[in-house]
Amino acid sequence: MALLELKGVASYYGNVQALKGLSLHVNQGELVTLLGANGAGKSTTLKTISGLVQPAQGEVWFEGRPIHRLGPEAIAKLGISHVPEGRRIFPGLTVRENIMLGTSTRGRLPRAQMADEVEQMFAIFPEIKKFENALGWTLSGGQQQMLAVARGLMARPKLLLLDEPSLGLAPLIVQNLFGTIREIRSLGTTILLVEQNANMALSVADRGYVLETGSLTVEGTPQDLLDNEEVRAAYLGGHHG
Amino acid sequence: MMPFRLPHVGTGAVLPDMAAPRPAGSFLPPRPSRNSQAGRISIPALVVLLAIAIAIPLIPYQMTVSNYVVLMFMQAVTYAIAVLGMVVVLGYTGQINLAQAAFFGIGAYGVALGMLSGGLNFWISLALGVAGATAAGLALGLTTIRLGGHYLAMITISFQQIFDLVLVNWVDVTHGPDGIAGITRPSLFGISLADDKAYLLFCSVVLYVLVFAVWKLPDTRLGRAMRAVRENQLAAEVVGVHTLRTKVTAFSLSALLGAIGGGLYAGGFAYISPDNFNFARSIEFLTATLLGGAQSPFGGVIGTVLIVQLPEWLKLLPESLRFIKDVYLAVYGLGVILIIIFLSEGIWGLVKTIRTRLFAEQTTTDTTGIPALTLESAGSHDGPLLRVDNLQKHFGGLKAVDGIGIDVERGTVHALIGPNGSGKTTSLNVMSGIYEPTGGKVIFEGEDVSRLRPHQRASRGIGRTFQNIRLFAALSALENVMIGAQRSNNPIAPGEGALRERAMSALQFVGLADRAHVIVRNLPYGHQRLVEIARVLAGNPKLLLLDEPAAGLNQTEKMAFVELLKRLRGHGLTIFLIDHDMGLVEKISDRITVLNFGRKIAEGTPAEVLRNPDVIAAYLGTAGKVN
Amino acid sequence: MQVLFDNLQVLFQGLALGSIYSLVALGFVLIIRATNVVNFAQGDFAMLGAYSMVLFFTGLGWPYWVSFVGALAAMAVFGVIFNYGVYYPLRHRSFLPVVISTLGASIFLQNTVLAVFGPQPRPLEKVLAADGVNIGGVFLDSQYLVILAVTLALVLFTYLFFEHTLLGKKLQATSQDKDMARLLGIPVALMISITFIYSAVLGGIAGVLVGPILFVSIGMGSIIALKAFAATIIGGFGDVTGAIVGGLLLGVIESMAAYHISVPYKDAYAFLALFIFLLFRPSGIFGEKVSEKA
Repeated sequence: MALLELKGVASYYGNVQALKGLSLHVNQGELVTLLGANGAGKSTTLKTISGLVQPAQGEVWFEGRPIHRLGPEAIAKLGISHVPEGRRIFPGLTVRENIMLGTSTRGRLPRAQMADEVEQMFAIFPEIKKFENALGWTLSGGQQQMLAVARGLMARPKLLLLDEPSLGLAPLIVQNLFGTIREIRSLGTTILLVEQNANMALSVADRGYVLETGSLTVEGTPQDLLDNEEVRAAYLGGHHG
Repeated sequence: MMPFRLPHVGTGAVLPDMAAPRPAGSFLPPRPSRNSQAGRISIPALVVLLAIAIAIPLIPYQMTVSNYVVLMFMQAVTYAIAVLGMVVVLGYTGQINLAQAAFFGIGAYGVALGMLSGGLNFWISLALGVAGATAAGLALGLTTIRLGGHYLAMITISFQQIFDLVLVNWVDVTHGPDGIAGITRPSLFGISLADDKAYLLFCSVVLYVLVFAVWKLPDTRLGRAMRAVRENQLAAEVVGVHTLRTKVTAFSLSALLGAIGGGLYAGGFAYISPDNFNFARSIEFLTATLLGGAQSPFGGVIGTVLIVQLPEWLKLLPESLRFIKDVYLAVYGLGVILIIIFLSEGIWGLVKTIRTRLFAEQTTTDTTGIPALTLESAGSHDGPLLRVDNLQKHFGGLKAVDGIGIDVERGTVHALIGPNGSGKTTSLNVMSGIYEPTGGKVIFEGEDVSRLRPHQRASRGIGRTFQNIRLFAALSALENVMIGAQRSNNPIAPGEGALRERAMSALQFVGLADRAHVIVRNLPYGHQRLVEIARVLAGNPKLLLLDEPAAGLNQTEKMAFVELLKRLRGHGLTIFLIDHDMGLVEKISDRITVLNFGRKIAEGTPAEVLRNPDVIAAYLGTAGKVN
Repeated sequence: MQVLFDNLQVLFQGLALGSIYSLVALGFVLIIRATNVVNFAQGDFAMLGAYSMVLFFTGLGWPYWVSFVGALAAMAVFGVIFNYGVYYPLRHRSFLPVVISTLGASIFLQNTVLAVFGPQPRPLEKVLAADGVNIGGVFLDSQYLVILAVTLALVLFTYLFFEHTLLGKKLQATSQDKDMARLLGIPVALMISITFIYSAVLGGIAGVLVGPILFVSIGMGSIIALKAFAATIIGGFGDVTGAIVGGLLLGVIESMAAYHISVPYKDAYAFLALFIFLLFRPSGIFGEKVSEKA
């Protein structure tokens, strides 16, 4: 049984139909990537899963139960952690506080355990350790992205939703980040990754989907997708190279 | 500037439109629908309203009514005039004003002090009061240059409080808390208005004239500008509305109406004191406005009558229900909350909703005889139409745009592409004046426009659309487009007729003329995009800036949109656009500039650019060494 | 020498008065930060707190401290009612409807209290029986001392609560980015209720403390609220430290100006100070910059 399953989901974003009968699944332990051009509906897919957008039609199932009528707070409690587009760091809280708030779904943690888990995050993301007590808004884009992922991981999620983690990051930082994503995945977290950096995403994924104007066009292994003309078409429009 | 609709080869051109052929030469401006315009009323309703309006002030002449009742009418009439001011500033322009009682008071004290301390006659005193209030309104309006929203609420309350303090404490001039008695009524053209009945009749006539004026205001240039500010201030500014001037005018008008009401009130009651003009009275005016419906003068009048009369009616309640009278003001506070939650457009809004339900709204418009859209894109300047030179825009430490240079040649379609967060929309915002550049220049037709406000750029012929459509949601498609047409320096004939004609032509051009009278929020998304484009076209832009114009369109709509752009280019309009659909960009662009990390990484023809390895890398990303 | 003493005396009174503004301003700012709403009924929280005290202490004859706790409990309940009655139904609307709704609430509250208690201002017992102390010629009224002490304690408590508890951090997170807070599983509706409760209690305390000085009246809240709002703008809109400093500053300006210039215009000085700030430094003392959403 799939950990997460979307069945014929249609969602609207404002006036626009962003998803048109989307079906996909993510198995336990997999790293699945969702590719597509801007406006294809990738972010809306993640928002529909995490409850920020209510689907107009269709169903979302998680661990064998429907979740599409639940609010984001309830869905978070089930073990889905959404690291949204734009990082959404709390600007007025420190790095440490941002990370600590990631545990909000897990009830009260003993002080020592909390400190311990925060240290574990700093071990994964050593670069933000030195800004521990700096306010969120003072961080650079790459550091904010790491902080956002760290905060998402603190929920100990069964499923991690990552929305364009490479957005606006310099190539070297992107490589570091994807190294970390592989690491997280190897620790057993299931990940659904939305990316515009197709090559990068496919280099770490088990499977991938290509989304075009709200519906899926291609599904397959990274190699299938890399060889596929439509993948290039989705990004560059015409058929080039 | 080229004259309107003279044929100019290659510059101004008559554009064919999308719709079916129409009888040549016939010019019939389309009939406006009844419902979509701001305050249209059907003929029977108008007759009934008129009858009631004429009857009321004549009641005292027909039957014996107590002096008390006449004074109550007088109160309602003078308050209603002040509430009309609230309709203009709050209902039409969307600016909060919690100092209307102060303006009312300036009018009243103007009359009282002018006559009793200054020895002037009533009319001159009234004029002085009104002038003083208008000046105060103008000053308050000017504060909106920097401050809006909550600050404005605070500023107007402060003004109200200071006014109150001055009235009470500056005893030498204002006579302090005791107030001023002995104000006499004037005569008009030799007819004495000293009699209660005559004075009430006179005040009623003034009210009716002002109601008529306020009712007609929304369909004037100024009224449309006001509603545009209310609906979407940023879009209003970008399509060429001088938003500050509009807000200042709204405040001044509000103060003027308040002061007229106050001056007449002073004459009506012969005695005034500071507690007639305090904050509580301002709140009462606000409540009357909201209760009746802020967006219509009729609503304002209904609301005022209710507010003034309700306590009186409550006196008539049977003994067992008298307690309601004691908590009347509490109920009235609760009423404000309930109105806001459940009846956000007031009683008049409710009436309109019911009428719309009963009588089907006109949703199609006769499209015969609409002239074809003409575009004046001529200019004397040689060289690129728009030159962006070493442009920089930083937000704190973030260098969103980091020194880009682009030349947009006249008559071309130039696309700006790049991954998310590469600085495209920021660039467009700097070009259209929403942001001031941190460094570098924006030069349009040889003129440095870097520091000009968006409406000033619109007046020079820079038009734009927004990524997330910004229309004036509560206005009809036609009104939206007319606001675009009324930008300053638009080379069209003066007058409402020409504006309307221009707007219909623009709507016809995008294929929506038959939907001209539909409120835009009820239009489907694809049509809203087209209305936004029609709004820009109506303003005769020389340069059209489009921010992701195809986002959210389905395949069919995209195809139609490509055709539309091609037609525009075919007639010499210069277009600069951002889009993510490479297929679309490739089809229509003459030139493409690619941004990444706020810098230009490539530029050239579509074929050159889309084969450029740097561009492919920016989009697909480089496969790292993770594998 | 006497001049100096008099000035010190006025300064002291100004600080105490300013403390009341600060407390109400603090409540203001907390709600602004959590909901982006300016609550024009904030002053009426103080009025309600004072009248609760009148009811419990004078009316029902409860012991002073029991009445005090009772009044604060009543304010806490009221905070929840206010949230769900006035703010919550309008949470997705623009600022104007919400502002008007809070104005309506203000009218409702004042007139309900008027209907129940009548127009006569009520006296209220001072917290301490002692009159005050005289230190080197400067008389320090006991109530003023209590006000200063309680304000200091509350500011300290607020600081510790928001900066050193996870709940405080969750409240801050909610005010900074509601959707993100929800994604992390933070119960946003509850956080907003807590903010309203805390804000109502702060207002209530201010009312109970200022009651013995100003008398308890229907209109006491309005004028305090306006000063408190002015204080938040002077301090820096939405800034917690700014609210406190702004309140104190305003209290001192007002007292000094009343003493040195003219008493009848006492209330005007606050607004004059506000105008000056709005013209020359609209961002206030601690504010970064004025920004309105486009």
